[in-house]
Amino acid sequence: MRRFDIMRRAARNLKQAKGRTFLTSLAIGVGAFTLTMALAAGQGTRDYADKLLKNNVDPQAMFIVKDKSLFQQGGTIGLREYDPDVSTNSSGRPGTTIKQLNESDITYFNSRGDLTNVIPTYTLSPKWVQFEGNTKKYIGSVDYYDATILNETKAGTLPTLGTQIADSDATIPQTYAETLGVDAGSLIGKTVSITFAQQATTASDAQIQQAFAAGGTQAVQDLLSPQEKTFTYTIRAVTKTPTMSFSATPRISISASSARIANAYQTTGTTSSGKYSSVTALVKSGSSPDTVKADLESHGYGAETAKDAQSILFTIVNTLQGIVAGFGLLTLLASLFGIINTQYISVLERTSQIGLMKALGMSKKAIAKLFRYEAAWIGLLGGALGAAVAFITGTLANPAISKALDIGDSQILEFVWWQIAAMIGALVLIAIIAGWLPSRKAAKLDPIEALRTE
Amino acid sequence: MAEISVADVTKTYGKKKNAFLALSGINVEIPDGVTVAIVGKSGSGKSTLMHAMSGLDRPEQGEVIVDGENILKLKAKQVDIFRSKKMAFVFQSFFVQGNDTCYSNVSLPLEIGRVPFRRRKARIMRALTSVGLEEKAHSKAKNLSGGEKQRLAIARAIVSEPRVLFADEPTGNLDSVTGAKIEKLLFDYARENHATLIVVTHDHDLASRCDMQVYLKDGKVERIEKRDGTSIQPEQITEGVIKRPLGGPRKVAVQ
Repeated sequence: MRRFDIMRRAARNLKQAKGRTFLTSLAIGVGAFTLTMALAAGQGTRDYADKLLKNNVDPQAMFIVKDKSLFQQGGTIGLREYDPDVSTNSSGRPGTTIKQLNESDITYFNSRGDLTNVIPTYTLSPKWVQFEGNTKKYIGSVDYYDATILNETKAGTLPTLGTQIADSDATIPQTYAETLGVDAGSLIGKTVSITFAQQATTASDAQIQQAFAAGGTQAVQDLLSPQEKTFTYTIRAVTKTPTMSFSATPRISISASSARIANAYQTTGTTSSGKYSSVTALVKSGSSPDTVKADLESHGYGAETAKDAQSILFTIVNTLQGIVAGFGLLTLLASLFGIINTQYISVLERTSQIGLMKALGMSKKAIAKLFRYEAAWIGLLGGALGAAVAFITGTLANPAISKALDIGDSQILEFVWWQIAAMIGALVLIAIIAGWLPSRKAAKLDPIEALRTE
Repeated sequence: MAEISVADVTKTYGKKKNAFLALSGINVEIPDGVTVAIVGKSGSGKSTLMHAMSGLDRPEQGEVIVDGENILKLKAKQVDIFRSKKMAFVFQSFFVQGNDTCYSNVSLPLEIGRVPFRRRKARIMRALTSVGLEEKAHSKAKNLSGGEKQRLAIARAIVSEPRVLFADEPTGNLDSVTGAKIEKLLFDYARENHATLIVVTHDHDLASRCDMQVYLKDGKVERIEKRDGTSIQPEQITEGVIKRPLGGPRKVAVQ
C-alpha cells in the first residue's frame, strides 16, 4: 500500500472518530500551548534584553574594576591584609570592602593603545539643583553624559553619537520639565545650577585657633561646616525617557570632564578622593573586547564586556524558559499515555477491520504504518491546535503585557514560525513513538481470530 | 492444470493436552474456474480449510499449491502480495466499514494492491455498477441494508479481479430472497471471469449449485462429489499419503 494512501486512510479513520480524536489531541494541545508560550516568551525576553543592551551598551564597551571579587557572589568576605587602596564602600553591603582604582590605573588604561573614552564612574551626589527663573531648590540625580547612547530629545539638540556635550552644557530629562510645570522648549538656553557639598572636615586645634584669630566665631563655623560649591550649566536639550533603559531613573547629564571636576570637588579631603570603584571604556574598533579583557585580567584587573553582561541576563531568561518548557514537557508526557491508550482501544475496536485488511493482503508493515500515521495525525492536530491557540492568545495579550511591564513597543511574547514548526514536528515524532506499541499490536493481530469477531 | 491443490494438509490448534486437530491430512484438487462448495457442520474444519487455501492460516504440514506456487513456502510478505493480487473474500458478517463511503470501501483492495490512483475510479465504479450500488457510491456503508452491505462486500471482492473468490457463508445473515441475489452475483462473476469460486457453507441448496462439493467431517474429507456424478472417497486420493501424528482427531466444537 502506498504511503499516501495509508496517510489518507489514517486521516479518514480519525475523522470517523471525531470526538475521540479531538479529545486526545487536546491533551497534546495543552502541552503544545505551554511549549509555544515558553518558546515565545523566551524569544521575546531575549530579544528585549538584546535591544536593551544594544541601546545601553556599545558592543565595544568594557567595564573595568580593580577588584575581581566584584564579579563574584557578594564580593570578598573575610580577613584580608590592609591595603591603602581599599576603602569601605558605603553604597554596598555593610562590611563589604572593595579595592578601588586610582589615578595611576586611569593613566595606565589611557596609555594602552586599545582603549578609548576611559571614564571613571563618577558618583555625583548633588545637594540641590536650581533652575533659572525658579527659586525653589530641588533634589535630583546627576550623571555624566554617555556619548555611546543617543537619546531622543523633546526639545533642543544633542551632538552626534560618540561626541561629548560641551563642558558648559547640560541635558535634563523630560520628567523634570513636567515637575517644574514648564514647557520643555522654554528651558532650552536657560541655566541649571547644581550645588555640591564637601564632606565636613575635622580641623586641628591649631587650624581652629588660626581661624578664630583671623575671623572670630564666624570663621571657625565656616571652617567646620561643610563647604558648598555651585556649578552652573546651560540646558541644551530636554531628553525623552528611553523605554529601552536599564536605569529608569531620569538624570541630569553634564559632560564627563564637568563630572570629573564636580566629583573631585565633592571627594576632596576624603579617602575616596581620586579613587573610583570602576571605569567604563570603549575598546577601539579593530581590537576584540575578549582579547582586551583577557589582557586586563592578566594585569590583575577585573573586566566585563558587553557580551558578558548579556550572557548573565540570558542565563536568567534561559533558566526561566527552561522551567516553563519543563512543565510543557510534563504535560506532553501525560498526553503520550493518552495517545497510547486511545490507540490501544482503537486497535481493539477495529479488530475486524484489521482482520479484513490482512485478508485483503495488506502487509503487517502497512497496518503498523496505518496506526502510526493515525498517531502522527493526532500529534500534528494537537500541536497545531495548541500552537494556534497560543499564537492567538499571545498576540492578543501582548499589548496588555507590554503596557503592564511598561516596556513600550517591545513584545514579551515573540512567535517565531520555525520554532513553532520544529516543535510541531517534534510532537508528531513523539506521537509516532507513542503509537508504536499499539501499532505493533495491530500488526501482530491474527487475522483469523480478528475475522471471527462480530 | 489444477488451480488449487491441497495435499496432506494438517492443522492443529492449541498445544499438548489441549491440542485439537482442525484439519487432518486433507487432499483436494480444485481445477481452474470451477465452483466449489466446502460443506460441513460447525467445527468440521471448513473455515480452517478456506483459511489454509488462502494463505491466511499456516498449516504445519502439507502443501497448498495455488497457480503452481506452494504458498506455504512463501514468506508472509509474498503471501500478502499473492493474496492481494489473486484472491478475494466475502464473509458472512460483511465486514464493510460502516463509517466509510461505499466508494472508499471498494477502493481499499486497489490501494492495498498499489493500483495507481488514476486507474482506480473506473474500476471501482464498474464493480459498484455490477452489484447495482453505483447510486450509493458516496453513501456511508452503515446506511445500507444487509443485502446491500453484502453486495458492497462483493463489489469490494471483485474490484481487484481475483482469480479465486472465497465466500464464507455469504448468505448466512440474509433472507432467502436477498440470499438468492447474492448467490447469483457470485456465480455470475465466476462464470464471466472464468474464476474459481470457493463457497464455505452448510446450506445444501447453495452447495448443490456448485460444480464440486467437498464434504468435511471432523477435519477430514468425508467425500468429494462432482457435477458429472462422480463421487470420490477419501481413500482414493489420500492413499499412502496420510500421516496421523496425533493419532486421529478429537472432536471439539469450535465456532
